[in-house]
Amino acid sequence: MRSGNEPDSPAQPDITSLIPLVRRVVGARVHEATVAEDLVQETLTRVLATAPRVEPGLLESYAIVTARNVVSSLWREQDRHRRNQHRVVDLRPPDPPDTDLLASEEQGAVTRALAQLSERERHLLLAHEVNGRDTRSLAGEQGSTAGAVAAQLNRIRARLRVEYLLALDNAEPPTDRCRPVLLALSGGDRRRQREVDAGRHLLECELCARLSSPLLERGRQGRDDEVCIPIHSDGDIVAARQAARELAARLGFSRTDLTLIATAVSEVARNIVRFAEAGEVVVELLERPRPGVRVVARDTGPGIADVEQAMRDGYSTYHGLGLGLPGARRLMDEFAVASELGRGTTVTMTKWRRR
Amino acid sequence: MSYDQDLMETASGTRTSSGGRSAGSGTGPGSDEDELLPQLVAHLREHRTKLRQEWAERIQSSGLLHAMTPQEMTAETTSVYDNYVEVLETGSVEALQRYARDLSERIIPRGVETHEVVGIVLLLRDVLARSLFEKYQRDFGMLNRVLDAYEPAANRIANTVAVSFVDERERVIRQQQDSIRELSTPVLPVRERLLILPIIGVLDSERARQLTEQLLTGIRTHRAKVVVIDITGVPDVDEAVADHLVRTVDASRLMGASVIITGLSPEIAQTLVTIGVDLSKMDTIGDLQGGLEEAERLLGFSVTRGDGVSGP
Amino acid sequence: MTPGPKLVSILRQGPYLIASVHTALDDTQMTRFQEDLIEQIGRHRSRGVIIDVAALDVLDSFATRTLRTIGEIARLRGARTIIVGIQPEVAFAIVSLGMSTGSLETALDLEEGLTYLDGPTWREPDRARAAR
Repeated sequence: MRSGNEPDSPAQPDITSLIPLVRRVVGARVHEATVAEDLVQETLTRVLATAPRVEPGLLESYAIVTARNVVSSLWREQDRHRRNQHRVVDLRPPDPPDTDLLASEEQGAVTRALAQLSERERHLLLAHEVNGRDTRSLAGEQGSTAGAVAAQLNRIRARLRVEYLLALDNAEPPTDRCRPVLLALSGGDRRRQREVDAGRHLLECELCARLSSPLLERGRQGRDDEVCIPIHSDGDIVAARQAARELAARLGFSRTDLTLIATAVSEVARNIVRFAEAGEVVVELLERPRPGVRVVARDTGPGIADVEQAMRDGYSTYHGLGLGLPGARRLMDEFAVASELGRGTTVTMTKWRRR
Repeated sequence: MSYDQDLMETASGTRTSSGGRSAGSGTGPGSDEDELLPQLVAHLREHRTKLRQEWAERIQSSGLLHAMTPQEMTAETTSVYDNYVEVLETGSVEALQRYARDLSERIIPRGVETHEVVGIVLLLRDVLARSLFEKYQRDFGMLNRVLDAYEPAANRIANTVAVSFVDERERVIRQQQDSIRELSTPVLPVRERLLILPIIGVLDSERARQLTEQLLTGIRTHRAKVVVIDITGVPDVDEAVADHLVRTVDASRLMGASVIITGLSPEIAQTLVTIGVDLSKMDTIGDLQGGLEEAERLLGFSVTRGDGVSGP
Repeated sequence: MTPGPKLVSILRQGPYLIASVHTALDDTQMTRFQEDLIEQIGRHRSRGVIIDVAALDVLDSFATRTLRTIGEIARLRGARTIIVGIQPEVAFAIVSLGMSTGSLETALDLEEGLTYLDGPTWREPDRARAAR
């Protein structure tokens, strides 16, 4: 505040006296020490640049506001980053073609997609969407209930979206797993997605990874309770555990539990780097049956020959196969490994929040 | 593996009465429900006194809520009934959850058991269903539709009430457990750099976890160098307990503090060693007094030597 | 290559080296840190090394093993290694993970670590008592 009395040096007000203040403002919001320090520096730089134009007595409050802005723009950026980070495989959006061509292609795709539906499905969909008949009258016709018809319509729409995307892409699914996976994604049915192991398939199948993007966009709107971190090198291990800690912190886990989660993520992510070429760690917040966090680490590596043995390592020796799996299991509440030789490994682990 | 389209239809297309709307499949409210529920609600309002009476009798004859006086019972059943109908009418999840939470909060302090709460809500569901049967028994088609609208809504209420009741009960229990735990595991600073942790009661893994966390934080706060853990008050020191202790000792050591365990009788120590517990990592001393003396000796020893050598 | 000053700093203080880890290290950086530290121990003929890990919010199996390895190699070169500043949560996670920490010497913080290096080993009194 002494800066107000130094008329000779308007360009160099006493910025240093602001440092503790700025540090406190940033520190209250950002716990990562290095990040916080960067933000403090950034804030000071900004304040320094604008200081000559700020009324001397207001410099302090100006610094506070600037610090807050800097922090929130960091959050926004992280958030954006998180949203866009969710696919391992590069998504190549088609070049935007001529509008007319696009329209005719789209129309063609819709027609071809419709042709893939059964006669009954097409009839039901058109009756509802085009002729505007309500579910109840359709139910009467089918000898079914309105709810069942609505569910049926939903499935048909989901299927139509998949067929449309396939037609637009001019692609025939390379494996017989593709359609079920795409359908589960399109319907937004997470239980079904787990049943068909959609995440793993997306790692393995380039076509589905590409097509899944528009399908996931639909369900993803407003959902920020999931992060996916692609794992390629050991730097990604750190990123994965930090992301997991950050996400889990939102649920109010204790500091100890956050550390346990981060450590477990570190262990399973390291496995991917060591034993597989590519993989991902997906961290997801759960609401049911209780608040918790689920971590899925999957890779397309060689797989584990003897999962039981990998899990059976001695308590304190730790060496064994050195997979870190028994360690990670001890840190989490639930733990499961599925592995297939030649295809890869999926580790699923969950920690429930204590209250 | 092959995923046959028809198979999927049956797998995901099976309609469960309670999942119709809450499964998150995006199924909009059927127009049937929209139309029938108001009718239904009107019917339940009209016959409120009779139906509520019938319900109260069913509750009594089933021996539920015996902890309540007749007056309390009347008051409760009336309020539960009205809320129930309201939730049916609005179909709002928030209202339902609020209702369920409110019910649990009021009912738990009176010692009502889970099966009783679920029981009375299911009884109400059945009483109302029966009255619907009566009203529409002439028109079978209509009855079916009314029940289609009623059942999912009623099951959703029962489900939410049960879940919320159990949640609330667990919360209350946990709260009590927490306060008991805090009382029973104090970390006591005896003198500079020395902590005592007397453990009294059963040491299960949850408590061991909490205790270790508390101790580790305490070590940092008090800059403790020696910790005496007294387990005289722990019954049944077995392999699991010893295991927890070993880990607590290890973790404390990582923070630079030595741990002395007191109150482990020679017989139990012998047994633990026989079943293969590694006690070599633990510094054990018979009684608390001896443990404290040893702790002082450790501190004194290290302080004099440290001071002697590190002077500038 | 040596780790940049931002990640880790290694300072010489009399016969001791004080290494502070400022931020989370990935495995490559951790290994580099190990090599660098060992090299400096040899160069300065240090008698003791303090590694301050207070800034780390996770010490997973790899990091813990690396610290253990540093301690063992340093011992072969005639230096004692003290790890200081392990956070309570981190200590809890390490033992929950099941890591054996037996050969790690630890102290609460830097100050304690220095006192510790200047004094006798902390475990000596235990042995003295056992022999009594």
